[in-house]
Amino acid sequence: MAYIIAEPCIGTRDTACVDVCPVDCIHPAKGRTYDDGRPTFDEVPQLYIDPPECIDCGACVPVCPVTAIFPLEDLPEKWHAYIETNKNYVDGGKFQPDKYQKASS
Amino acid sequence: MGTLHEIIHENVREGELYEKLDRNWVRCFACGHCCKIPDGQPGVCKVRYNRSGTLYVPWGYVGGIQCDPIEKKPFFHAHPGALAYSFGMLGCDLHCAYCQNWVTSQALRDPAAAVGPMRVTPADLVLDATRQGGRVIVSTYNEPLITSEWALAVFKEARAAGLVTGFVSNGNGTPQVLEYLRPWVDLYKVDLKSFDDRHYRQLGGRLQPILDTIRCLHEMGFWLEIVTLVIPGFNDSTDELTRLAEFLAAVSPDIPWHVTAFHKDYKMTDPENTTAETLMRAAEIGKRAGLRYVYAGNLPGMVGDWENTRCPKCRELLIERNGYLITGYHLTPQGCCPSCGASIPGRWDPAFRRQITARPFVPLMRPQSDLLVLDS
Repeated sequence: MAYIIAEPCIGTRDTACVDVCPVDCIHPAKGRTYDDGRPTFDEVPQLYIDPPECIDCGACVPVCPVTAIFPLEDLPEKWHAYIETNKNYVDGGKFQPDKYQKASS
Repeated sequence: MGTLHEIIHENVREGELYEKLDRNWVRCFACGHCCKIPDGQPGVCKVRYNRSGTLYVPWGYVGGIQCDPIEKKPFFHAHPGALAYSFGMLGCDLHCAYCQNWVTSQALRDPAAAVGPMRVTPADLVLDATRQGGRVIVSTYNEPLITSEWALAVFKEARAAGLVTGFVSNGNGTPQVLEYLRPWVDLYKVDLKSFDDRHYRQLGGRLQPILDTIRCLHEMGFWLEIVTLVIPGFNDSTDELTRLAEFLAAVSPDIPWHVTAFHKDYKMTDPENTTAETLMRAAEIGKRAGLRYVYAGNLPGMVGDWENTRCPKCRELLIERNGYLITGYHLTPQGCCPSCGASIPGRWDPAFRRQITARPFVPLMRPQSDLLVLDS
């Protein structure tokens, strides 16, 4: 299980979630560049949670100003596509270029 | 008193294990999560929270008290047979689906786990412990690291009364909290649940801070024992148990390692209960990795010699056990093997004192004491 960032994040990208995450599993962080060539903060429509890195602590949920983050079992049906969207950015710390481009095209 | 959340918001004081950041944020050091907490929010543990840039932490209550034989903690190389007066508060920084103390540890995440805490002072607890004949006082049941400030207040009082102190912990510590605890904590049990970071993330943590804590605890001179609950299909592969045992042996082959049997509990009801055969396989793995003191627990009478302590040099039988009951004690007053003289690592008494109990019991002191039950 992991937490999922859904549609309300698009265009918001508040980074309080990144600041509170104890295991640094929400990406991309503002002002950070990554070695694996993944799109940076300025290039993505929303933030993503790396599913296998997430420890399900829930610290990100109350700090999101637009209620975009849900535990998997509480994710509204209409946003179920975001399960893949989150996973398609990074999965276990690995950027997924093919999956990411496919998802965003 | 009202709800659990009211109880944890009213029974607090300012913490000592944190730093202030800008924008009224704080960073807590009580556990390996090192939460950065915004104003108005709790940390991952849900019991340490930031109010206007000050971190408030649990104070002045217990979620549970029990008298346990020290063998139940389990400590096998510290004051065998002693009564360990055990107390806990509420909350945990992890959320293990198989938690055997979920009534206190998960009370704040899961309404099904509610208990009625009691308001106490450190003096109340220590007086009760000594009345019961306790020689050791242990912070356990919930994760003691996240309630370290309160544990220390109790332990300072306990030391003055001549008690030995201990933590039974998941080991998700930080250098700061270990420095803070070192002067006041004698015994430290770490529950090393897995040797796979993916497994730890399922339980709500990471492996690395726990391994770092185990190394630090040993180097800093706490009396350290490790327990691993062996769960079929989760952590019982020969590969994982071998890597775990080799890690411990590299820290020190003198660290006692307890492998204990899982029983279905809380939300983890799928795996089968651990068999004696699996448990003894785990114990063999520990011995092969070079550990000198390996014990199989939770299946008394079913695991052969794995409940006993033997001299690693001459194999002389030193301490015989059946479950928590000491059935034979042959160490010298100096804690040595009577046959070959080898020094056995541990915190030994000059002589074995009879056990008050080999079974846990809840002290009957409540009607005579000043403890107030908080209605939840």
